[in-house]
Amino acid sequence: MSPTWWVVFRKELRETLRDRRTLFVMVAVPVLLYPVLLIGTEQLFLFGARNLEAEASPVSVVGDALGTLLDLVEASEVLVLRPLAGDPAEAIREDAVTAVAVVGTGVDPEGTRDVTLLFDGASDRSQRAHTQLRRVVEAWRDSMMVQRLRDRGLPTTFAAPVAVVDSSIARPADVGGYTLGRVLPLLLVMMTVLGAFYPAIDLAAGEKERGTLETLLTAPVPAGAIVVGKFVTVALMGVIAAGLNLASMLLTFQTGALQVTQVIGLEVSLPLGSVAVIFLTLVPLAVLFGAVFLGIAVRSGSFKEAQNALTPIYMLALFPAMLPIFPGIDFGPLLALTPVAGVSFFFRDLMAGDAGWLLGGLVLVSTTLYAIAGLLFAARAFGSERVLFGGDETSEVSAEPWTTRLWSRARPGRVPTLGTVLTFVGMVAVLFFFGGIRMQLAWGERGLLAAEWLLLLGPAVLFVALGRFDPRLALSLRSPRAPHMLGAVLLIAGALPIVWLVGWLQSFVLPIPWDLLEGLEELVTAQSLDRFLWLMLILAITPAFCEEIVFRGVLLGGTRTLEPWRMIVLNGVVFGAFHLSFETAIRFLPTALLGALIAWAVWRTGSLWVGTLMHFLNNATIVVLTSLPAVREVFSDPEAPPPLWLVPFGALALGLGIRVIVRARGAAVEVTPEGAGAA
Amino acid sequence: MIRFSALSKHYGPLQAVRELTLRVIPGEVYALLGPNGAGKTTALRCLATMLKPSSGSAEVCGVDVALDPLGARRQIAFLSSSMGLYERLSARELVAYFGRLHGLERDVLAKRVDEMIDLFAIGEFSERLCGKLSTGQRQRVSLARALVHDPPVLILDEPTLGLDVLSGRTIHDFIIRERGRGKTILLSTHQMEEVDLLADRVGILRRGRLVAEGSPTELVQALGAPNLARAFLALMSEWALVPGEGQA
Repeated sequence: MSPTWWVVFRKELRETLRDRRTLFVMVAVPVLLYPVLLIGTEQLFLFGARNLEAEASPVSVVGDALGTLLDLVEASEVLVLRPLAGDPAEAIREDAVTAVAVVGTGVDPEGTRDVTLLFDGASDRSQRAHTQLRRVVEAWRDSMMVQRLRDRGLPTTFAAPVAVVDSSIARPADVGGYTLGRVLPLLLVMMTVLGAFYPAIDLAAGEKERGTLETLLTAPVPAGAIVVGKFVTVALMGVIAAGLNLASMLLTFQTGALQVTQVIGLEVSLPLGSVAVIFLTLVPLAVLFGAVFLGIAVRSGSFKEAQNALTPIYMLALFPAMLPIFPGIDFGPLLALTPVAGVSFFFRDLMAGDAGWLLGGLVLVSTTLYAIAGLLFAARAFGSERVLFGGDETSEVSAEPWTTRLWSRARPGRVPTLGTVLTFVGMVAVLFFFGGIRMQLAWGERGLLAAEWLLLLGPAVLFVALGRFDPRLALSLRSPRAPHMLGAVLLIAGALPIVWLVGWLQSFVLPIPWDLLEGLEELVTAQSLDRFLWLMLILAITPAFCEEIVFRGVLLGGTRTLEPWRMIVLNGVVFGAFHLSFETAIRFLPTALLGALIAWAVWRTGSLWVGTLMHFLNNATIVVLTSLPAVREVFSDPEAPPPLWLVPFGALALGLGIRVIVRARGAAVEVTPEGAGAA
Repeated sequence: MIRFSALSKHYGPLQAVRELTLRVIPGEVYALLGPNGAGKTTALRCLATMLKPSSGSAEVCGVDVALDPLGARRQIAFLSSSMGLYERLSARELVAYFGRLHGLERDVLAKRVDEMIDLFAIGEFSERLCGKLSTGQRQRVSLARALVHDPPVLILDEPTLGLDVLSGRTIHDFIIRERGRGKTILLSTHQMEEVDLLADRVGILRRGRLVAEGSPTELVQALGAPNLARAFLALMSEWALVPGEGQA
């Protein structure tokens, strides 16, 4: 008798292969549309280029003492000389001519002069005419130079003491691989992930929507067998999509169907060995997205809901796949461990014939591990009756007008749901990213202050008021006790050197943005008492209130239904991500660690004020340290390790802080999903 | 046989089923009656192992549904009004699929699928995809799917909801036949005529609690009503007047 998962898999595969939508995305797109689009685009490009080349560009030459320039233009096969009476720029705008050479009067007895080439940078024809006219003018210049040298009895090499010749050692095939390797990874990842997209939705959310999941769960089938059967189907669809795409590309490139590569002198090919390795790496990628998509889709109530949930994940997955397009990013261990990016960069290097097999192994292993984590994520959903049949999670948002809700009294015990707070924090982050930057650009440090109060604290207060959430629970507004505050001081005193150590360790793998750090140091350095007080206000007091109410208030309040460690890790990651930007990637890990530590303290004590104190102490310490010239030198070098004697003291203080808070009376606040809070 | 022992199920603060205790013996049809939201479907889903009881227990043929859900599922057929058919499988493929999930061996399976196709007169459309079938045809396929492993216990959640008279009649005939074969049948419904026709005993649920139980005749007599429908309405209005009852 076949194992149950195999029975489920065979049935899922049969159904999936009968789904036109899946077949279209998986088979029709790569096999038919893909090469047609590629070759079609190329033909259009070549057609346009040839059209342009076939036309002679109408140009004019105006000015004094033109000498032989007019003869040269007339002799050119690609230019047609047109007389010009009016304004040259106007003539180009009206398409009477495509470019004009305006020759100035001679500035010395030998006739040296300026030549201005007028053209329209927003027109292909004018740009092409400009290039051609420039060549003619340069030929004219060279002929005059030769004449001058002859007049003085000098050889023509006299004016060119150094002759520079460019010579690339890359073979055409290398250049082709390099060029192709920047674009192909994105296409392959896109198509592979897309291959798993619809099957995942159909097999999870679609099955729930059609009511067949209920029927299936009345059969003696373990949840694990259902997950495995469905997952193998989805992953297989992704793998088939990847294989068909690769095969289609292989045929497109190997058969010489692409002419553009010959025109521009590139040799584009996909060696069979590389194709096999690429396929091998695409398998765990398909497996990863199969599992993640399935896990998310089964948590959705309907096909449409799953589509809405998966589309942003799909778009997000494309971002790391795009990275190889950008120049100057070297493939290293960190990128190899980054989901999707590792696979994309490995493809790029494979195509360029420069693949590091150690990094390739790292990509394969890490992607496989991510895939296993994704599978566990999916399996958990199939074991949860709440996920499978819905139930107690309902929208907390009332349908009453917002003005009524704003002023009405909060409902005791009511806290926002996980989805609601994550949406809120996401919106606040976007608002702060775009609005905050503009405010800082417009008003400098005052803009930073305004952004914190208006774009963080303001929305958080409105969120709690509009949602009629219980502020005591939703924001953890319990009054702290003395041991809590003592514990908070010890925790931050211990965390500072530890976090410093972590920051120093990561400087070995992450590049340090020196320019940015110097700017930051200048910002936080106080030269006077007034400046010091101002810095304390904008960098210590303000974030301690405004950032804490968002992250340890709203976010923590809405995620208390999670297991504590998940809640704390999530809080740290979101807090770290909030402080992340392209220039300050090095801030992520230290900030995330601090965020997680503060989240733990607030969760344990139920008091946002503990978090406020810790945040203030951390930021204030940095301002104080950088403002004292004697210690600034020691503390401002990110490449310098922390004084080693500080680390054990830090660990000791950290341990003491944890002990003080744990032993203090008052346990962590427990909140049920429906919001009945109890101390 | 079926046994509920003080089974409760709650979703957060909502008590869907409260302390439900009842017993259904082989060859008996037991109908659960109640208004929408009374907890009928939740009780049946707990019995079918789709939901875990919050407290108390339920047994099917001596198998505790919470302790051995797979064992319990082997003893039951679950049928609901949604039917839950895979639209891209043919009727024959669907019945065979559930037979395989119940662990039927290849030769037994083929024989059993043919029997089900004959029993429910599916033959003429057995190779057609379920998505292309009429509602009545789908209901017949659904019955074949539920019975392919010939279980001793049938759990039917509003099985005739949305069906026309003829299709409903097919279901009624099926229930009567299976009762005659000694099957234990637990049924939830809103239709009093169906209860009058089929049920040996009736349990009335209100806000998750079993408020009355007995044969249709016993209930009618006890409540002094001319028929079961009036008795049911009388019971609902009587309980609606009890202060504080039914607060979720």
